[in-house]
Amino acid sequence: MREQSNSNRWLTVVLLAPTTLWFLFMLIMPLIVILIFSFGERAAVGGYGGGFTFAQYANLPARLKAFQNTMTYAPVGTLLSLLVAYPLAYYLALKVDRRYKLILLVLVIVPFWTSLLIRTYAWIYILGGRGIPAMLEWLGFEAVRLINTPGAVLVGIVYGYLPLMVFPIYVSLEKLDKSLLEASNDLGGNPYRTFFASHLASLNARCGHGLYAGFYPVDGRVSDPGFSGWGESILHR
Amino acid sequence: MRIYAVFVYLFLYAPIGIIVLFSFNAGRHASELRGLSVQWYGKALSNPFVGDAFVTSLEVALIVAILSSLLGTAAALALQRLKGSVRIFFDGLIYVSVMIPGIVIGIATLVALVTVFDFLNPWLASVWPEGVKPPQLHLGYTSVIAAHTLFTMSLVIIMVRARIAGMDRTLIEASMDLYATPWRTFYQVTLAQIYPAILAGFLLSFTFSFDDFIISFFVAGSNTTLPVYIFSSIRRGITPEVNAIGTMVLVGSLTLLMTAQYLMRDRGKH
Repeated sequence: MREQSNSNRWLTVVLLAPTTLWFLFMLIMPLIVILIFSFGERAAVGGYGGGFTFAQYANLPARLKAFQNTMTYAPVGTLLSLLVAYPLAYYLALKVDRRYKLILLVLVIVPFWTSLLIRTYAWIYILGGRGIPAMLEWLGFEAVRLINTPGAVLVGIVYGYLPLMVFPIYVSLEKLDKSLLEASNDLGGNPYRTFFASHLASLNARCGHGLYAGFYPVDGRVSDPGFSGWGESILHR
Repeated sequence: MRIYAVFVYLFLYAPIGIIVLFSFNAGRHASELRGLSVQWYGKALSNPFVGDAFVTSLEVALIVAILSSLLGTAAALALQRLKGSVRIFFDGLIYVSVMIPGIVIGIATLVALVTVFDFLNPWLASVWPEGVKPPQLHLGYTSVIAAHTLFTMSLVIIMVRARIAGMDRTLIEASMDLYATPWRTFYQVTLAQIYPAILAGFLLSFTFSFDDFIISFFVAGSNTTLPVYIFSSIRRGITPEVNAIGTMVLVGSLTLLMTAQYLMRDRGKH
């Protein structure tokens, strides 16, 4: 029996060894190196010069704009995604005929499977000079500049993460008790009241997942702002 | 409500439609549609840089997918045997590696690897036997594969573990009671139940790696992957050629995912 548990332990160690090495060299080591370097001096030729200083941190206010952009775009983009995604998820979960439900759901996720880079740069066409602005001009409106604006960045963020937002909301709405809605109607609640009482009351709990899923990738987004809103990008050439 | 849904689907598909439409543009300028032709597909396919980048991406994605589904499954199996602080430690690492933004891990890996290589290369040269050219460590295939695998392996662990949690444990006990060897129990009972998760993890890893731009951009060195190539050509200006490449990538990845979906559904019926 003793031998058995010993060989079991060895098996666990062997199975876990490659993953452990990976975490050690590709996650922990890089993060430690970055941490150490962040306290280093700048070498005369550029790069790491050793030493211990807070100079790089003291220099951060110079990059304040980038921080502000991120801290604005992430929550605003998330909120917009929520506003766009919630009605769609509601429609898919409660209104659509069973026969079409699956295909409509698949259609939401299909763009997510394709290249983010390619999907994002398509917006250059749409928002660029010959896209919507040209169309507005043709219709007799004044031409506006859409590309390289904060609005363009937000469109890119919403576009990129909409499927991530729709699915968690859809799943929880699917579980929502439809009899609650009927009860509210029977008791004379008008449609708005029904909506607010039954949905928004638990909005917080329900959208938590969606918000989370939509929020954290926005933090690390590079390609999007880089394209749609070149001027004010987080990455900033 | 229905009109709203139509609008959202338009929003989702208009950009993709535009890319496909403009890839058949006969004119030279990307933003002006002048007749239809397939000439840009020919241009893209005969461009050696595109070919090289495509092959690099394919090789990297394939190795990443194989590595992460093998190692991820092994780790998931090992982790379910563990309890206590070791397990919490690993859980933490898994979630950190999934949630950390690509740009952070890209830059951190780049800086760390360059530092380590700067340190190791002179040392290797000094210990290498006289007359033989010492190896030069540099960024390339290995570093991209390693950086992608960190993320995808954690994904596979999470997926396989979810499957293990939902697995029927009585079957394993039954198999043991019937004197099956541990290996046979593993192969015929455990693996048979978790392989859909492994397959799904393999495909997700492949698509992630093939599609990844940010991490590859930092750690690929001189080995250009397809997304990095596309990014650099867009920065020089959009051409119908880029649209043709994009359309081919879209069609390719969709075919792959549909095939996978179809295969898995077919197996499920038996």
